[in-house]
Amino acid sequence: MVSSKYIYYLFLMNALINIINFVPRVLVFTRFHGALPSIFLSTFIGTLLFFGFTYTIKGFKGQGLPEIFNATLPRFFSFLLLILYAFFWFMAGIITMLSFVDITLRFISPDISSYAVILGFLLLTSICCRLSSESILYALETLLFLVTPIIVYMLVKAFINPAFNWDAVMQVVTFMWTRPKYVSLAGATFIFSGYFNLAIFNRNFKQIKTRHFWMIPVVGLMILLVTFLVPVGYHGTIGVEEHVYSWFSTADSIRMELFIIERVLFLFYTTYLTLALVSTVLHWHVGLELFKGAFQSKEGKKPGKKMDWWVLVPFSAATIIIMNFLDQVRLGQLGQWFLNIRFLNELLLMGVMFYAKGRSAKKT
Amino acid sequence: MSSKTREQEVSWLSETMSGQVDFEQRMLGSSGEIGLQYLRSLTNSDTISRYVIVPGYEMEDVKAFESYISSFPGTIQTGERQQILEYVLKGFAYIRIASRGYLFDAVKVESSGVGEAVNESIVQGPRDALSESIEMNLNLIRRRYQSAALKVDMLTLGKVSHTSVAILYDNDRVDQQVLKEMKKRIADVDIDILQSAGELEKYITPERFRIFPTMVVTERPDRVVFNIAEGKVAVIIDSNGFAIIAPVVFSDFFTAMDDKIQVPLVGWFLKIIRYIGLFLTLTLPALYVTFASYNPEILKVQISLLIAGSRAAVPYPSFMEVFLMLLMMEFLTEASLRLPKAIGPTATTVGGLILGQAATQAGLVSNIMIILVSAVAISNFIIPLSMMGYTIRVIKYGMVLFAITFGLVGIVVSIVGLIMYLSGLRSFGRPYMKMFALDSKVKGGQ
Repeated sequence: MVSSKYIYYLFLMNALINIINFVPRVLVFTRFHGALPSIFLSTFIGTLLFFGFTYTIKGFKGQGLPEIFNATLPRFFSFLLLILYAFFWFMAGIITMLSFVDITLRFISPDISSYAVILGFLLLTSICCRLSSESILYALETLLFLVTPIIVYMLVKAFINPAFNWDAVMQVVTFMWTRPKYVSLAGATFIFSGYFNLAIFNRNFKQIKTRHFWMIPVVGLMILLVTFLVPVGYHGTIGVEEHVYSWFSTADSIRMELFIIERVLFLFYTTYLTLALVSTVLHWHVGLELFKGAFQSKEGKKPGKKMDWWVLVPFSAATIIIMNFLDQVRLGQLGQWFLNIRFLNELLLMGVMFYAKGRSAKKT
Repeated sequence: MSSKTREQEVSWLSETMSGQVDFEQRMLGSSGEIGLQYLRSLTNSDTISRYVIVPGYEMEDVKAFESYISSFPGTIQTGERQQILEYVLKGFAYIRIASRGYLFDAVKVESSGVGEAVNESIVQGPRDALSESIEMNLNLIRRRYQSAALKVDMLTLGKVSHTSVAILYDNDRVDQQVLKEMKKRIADVDIDILQSAGELEKYITPERFRIFPTMVVTERPDRVVFNIAEGKVAVIIDSNGFAIIAPVVFSDFFTAMDDKIQVPLVGWFLKIIRYIGLFLTLTLPALYVTFASYNPEILKVQISLLIAGSRAAVPYPSFMEVFLMLLMMEFLTEASLRLPKAIGPTATTVGGLILGQAATQAGLVSNIMIILVSAVAISNFIIPLSMMGYTIRVIKYGMVLFAITFGLVGIVVSIVGLIMYLSGLRSFGRPYMKMFALDSKVKGGQ
């Protein structure tokens, strides 16, 4: 049993990892066509979704999504939905990993084999995502506490840099009153979808208290604005489009004059690699548990521990195969498609959750 | 009991003990109606002669002598063979008066007395270490913890050694679940000889493959007392001056008893220093491999050039150099640990000065490597509890291996993996590594 503060960690995790999952890229593409309004709009929608999900799942104390679905929905639908969501959350992890392999090859070690890198990632995630949910939450907390100060330091460094062009930022802000696009909206809401992890972690919460809920829109909006505007400030309104991983290029533009490591890029890379690994472990853990939940019997009897590998090995193999097929452009497209479909999925989830809540209220 | 069975009793004990040079068997009283049997080496002969033999002749009547003997605290009246044997082997004298048998406490304890803590020495604060005798240890702990809530459960372990084991806890504060688990695990221990707390720790840990200690083994009574007050369970065993404390969290291994005594700011500083030391000793060798062989561009140009220049004469890849020097350092540490005090300094001189200096001049290792290895060794010694120190010593090789195979990625992956592994560990059902572990304890959270 853990306290409510872990909800905020789950939120923060997803919010920070957006840089890897192509959110800034989507926003930058639509910077003249409604990126900024969709940021504000998505803060609203995201908070609503976050609150809606925590509100509905609060009613099912100590239950994960599999238990809720299996109890309230027809067997077939619950199976289908659980497989769908498990697949999606595995996909989130895969995209994070694959873009990090790409980043590693491009920025850190061009001469290392991509197979070696992905193998390292897969090994860690597959082993660690089998830990108990509680343990993963503890690890998440510890690692966030280690990493967040460094991120704050780098942000301060970014803002006080004289090369930061506020005019470019102002230029983009003038496009405030344009019509938001679905793509940018779907991308921007990604940072709020940390709540989805509750689908499994709700099993471990004693009681969900939402006292500091105001922090979610505030922090979310701040992170979104920083995600979007800082690369613009560094590369200019037009030049920012040239970069696939605009944040890594941004970090590479910053220098630490007085430290033994000169380029901020390396600090940025290590911190984000840490975050990416934890986020993948988190996502895969949720995916795995949902998958197992789909095969759970009505009495809540779970498939055995051996089943883990029957899920993890195919997904790991799939990751390597996908990596083989995708070049950088296609990977970017996949990431964007994922973001788009994910948003629809979350709306669907909200509907199902309210239905389930209604059903269970009727039952009792 | 008829006189026939009494005779059997006597002959049974002397038969079992036949051939033991230190087994004493005497008849007391004018008509020899009092039998006295004991092991000379375990009993205090002064006690025996002053309180048993002399009064045995002075008292006019056997009845008076019997009530005199049974009035001693610690005297047990029994006829049970198993118990008699057990207690005689402990140092009790078996006195047989009329038809009844008495076990008279005349235990002689040969122990080193209360010494100074050597493995966990501190600057200020109490210097006592636990002694080799369980009674004295209980005394040391009770004196520091004067509360009726302090409970001591005694039991014996070891089929041959019959070692006394005491479980200590504060009844009001202890986590009952942990206590139950501890008692169960100790009861399940099945060994012949138990001689040290470390051994017991090994037997009551469920995981067979593990690298991190999930119990603290300490020699300081003040640490034991401090932990008991926190609601933990302590186990002390006879004939070994160490106590086991459980459950523990990772940060317990980085606390010295000094921290409480220091000014708060200094205490914090010392704590931070230890974690920095932990980080350095773990990552420095791995980082060296990365910087020298994988990503020299990470460092400032000057530093990269410095490393490259220092490595110019070295004829093999950086990881060979790292392994060579780390191994040399381990040898040096082990050698200076086990050597007799008189030769100890020689090892340090030969190893440290000659090897270090000559190796660089010969071009076998770089200068920077020598500095790095000493930094690694020194920061490893910062860890206050040696069990954790040993663990960290082993783990850094794993980090080097990851650095060899994956470079910078490997280091990050191994750090994340390590934290995940630590978070997955449990010490008696309690999380092993958790931020703010102390806060939640105060609030009564789980």
